[in-house]
Amino acid sequence: MDLLPQFLANGLVIGSFYALSALGLTLILGLMRVVNFAHGELYMLGGVLGWWVTTALGLDFLTGLALVALVMGVFGWLVDRVLIERIRGQGEEPGILLTIGLSIFLANTALLVVGTAPLKVEGPVSSGPVFLGPIVVTKIRLFAVAVCAALIVAAYLLIQKTRLGRAMRATFQDPMAAQLAGIKTANVYACTFALGTVIASLAGMLLGSIYSAQVSVGGLVSMKAFVVVILGGMGSFAGAIVGGLVLGVAEALWGGYVATGWVDIIGFVIVILTLVFRPYGLFSKRAERA
Amino acid sequence: MQFERNAILVALLAAGLLPLAVHDQYLLHVAIMVLFYAVLATSLNLVVGYVGEFSLGHTAFLGTGAYAAALLSTQLGWPMWATIPAAGVLAAAMGLLIGSITLRLQGPFFVIVTLSFAEVLRLVADNWVAFTNGPMGIAGVPQPAWLAQAGNLATKQFFFYLAWGVLAVSLYLAYRFVYSNAGRAAVAVRENRYVAQSIGIRPFRYAMLAFVLGAFLAGMAGGFYAHYISFVGPEVFRFAFMVSMIIMVLIGGKGTLVGPLIGALLVTFLEEYLREAKELRLSLFGLAVMAIVLFLPRGLMGFLTTRREMRTPPYALSRAPRGAAPADWRSQIRCALGRGGAILSGVSGAWRLGKPK
Repeated sequence: MDLLPQFLANGLVIGSFYALSALGLTLILGLMRVVNFAHGELYMLGGVLGWWVTTALGLDFLTGLALVALVMGVFGWLVDRVLIERIRGQGEEPGILLTIGLSIFLANTALLVVGTAPLKVEGPVSSGPVFLGPIVVTKIRLFAVAVCAALIVAAYLLIQKTRLGRAMRATFQDPMAAQLAGIKTANVYACTFALGTVIASLAGMLLGSIYSAQVSVGGLVSMKAFVVVILGGMGSFAGAIVGGLVLGVAEALWGGYVATGWVDIIGFVIVILTLVFRPYGLFSKRAERA
Repeated sequence: MQFERNAILVALLAAGLLPLAVHDQYLLHVAIMVLFYAVLATSLNLVVGYVGEFSLGHTAFLGTGAYAAALLSTQLGWPMWATIPAAGVLAAAMGLLIGSITLRLQGPFFVIVTLSFAEVLRLVADNWVAFTNGPMGIAGVPQPAWLAQAGNLATKQFFFYLAWGVLAVSLYLAYRFVYSNAGRAAVAVRENRYVAQSIGIRPFRYAMLAFVLGAFLAGMAGGFYAHYISFVGPEVFRFAFMVSMIIMVLIGGKGTLVGPLIGALLVTFLEEYLREAKELRLSLFGLAVMAIVLFLPRGLMGFLTTRREMRTPPYALSRAPRGAAPADWRSQIRCALGRGGAILSGVSGAWRLGKPK
């Protein structure tokens, strides 16, 4: 029983990572109605790029993070303008297929370029332990949680306080009305996709410094992010955060008390149960269109 | 309808004659895989093309069938002619279970939950070592005893005809479903759920029928795979199978019976041809999927039928004299629905198609 605080702490740490990974997905899904199956691959690209800029270019972690954000932002913007724009307004299925194709392409091209070996992103702080009462956390994890929180707050401020954020929310509520009010919705969509891409890739780089960046990780990340998004409700900012924390804690407790081999099953069981009993998530404000 | 039936019959006949002409073992193996994938693509097409929902969890049924056949034959000693149908039935039962949950959902929810189910099954196969032997898989799934003396070529020929038989059964069932009242009702639901509901078609029921039939076919394919490869591991649930199936259905054209066959033929040969460059192949597949979605959204068959429809103006149908032979129902529905305010004629058209029994 004395391990409970430790499990909870581990769960909350992992949960905040899940929340950040899922945030980009929920933004894209909520605003653009695009189910982005390439989300995990964007995360992976962030990790691989992060590894490249910190080792090959020799930048320090935070500069590297900024560079990755810039590159991936441009990439996300281009993906939207070149690919997703063509299928906008055709319902969900083309989007699903397109992003599945994109994810296959990205994952395997990355595999061709950097291979299967795990790539360790050089972290900014040591991985030594910190003792907080009965709990042990490594320094780098605390650092990562802090960056996670900062990024989440930054994204929140971007959406709530800036002109672009207002345009995003207007488009979310009613694309047609937003367009009539003079908002360039195509631009807003591209920016949203870029924002989602940036958040996903930063999560990838951040976690690459704790675990390691791996080319094959995309599918798992996508699945976890979907679990979080479904649990929290599609397009819900708070839902993504709470969903991430819930999933992290649930996995940590399950892994601690029941069986480690079955940890990944938790997420899928949560998804199935959520969709059966509360199909629009815990926090969805509005009913889904029929 | 006639065209599809004739095309299928010709394709099956040609395939059946193939082993008489080809005695190369490798080519026969490729041909067997074409047949195997054709069954899978046909079964996925029933869900994707006729229910109109996108399932990413079809490997669940393939895997269930493969494990069922492997376990039944190694643990209980069932002969092969019993395990393959049993694999289909068990997969259909799995389809009933999964479908009863997932078919209440639509769009992205459906996609993710079907994928979740496949992943859950993969994790079970990976972790429940006592039952499935975990990551080691089940080796030595028996093949009929007389094949041991018959030599390699005869073995390949035997399995070719077995796969051919499974495919023939699958196509027969799929054909009977698609051109039955139930199949037409499913199409009506796919094209417009609300019009279909308004004339008394229950979407859930027909979606379920197609889903379970698809699961049954995929399960039989899995059973065949278990005996042919003689090994079953958690890889049968892997996403690569799913990717191949999706591409086959999409390239060929979903919602047609011939399309998936063309897709299976093309993709299997392409896969073999590009085997040297494994990762490059998958990269190219990714590009192919994107290109199809952008430029050929209805697949090769859809491309052909669109051209044919363009030559015969679609509205000619509604001007046809009463009592004329019933025209192609799909274009009838489409032209009825396509015109604004013509819901009524859509209802009457769909009523004629999906009259409740």
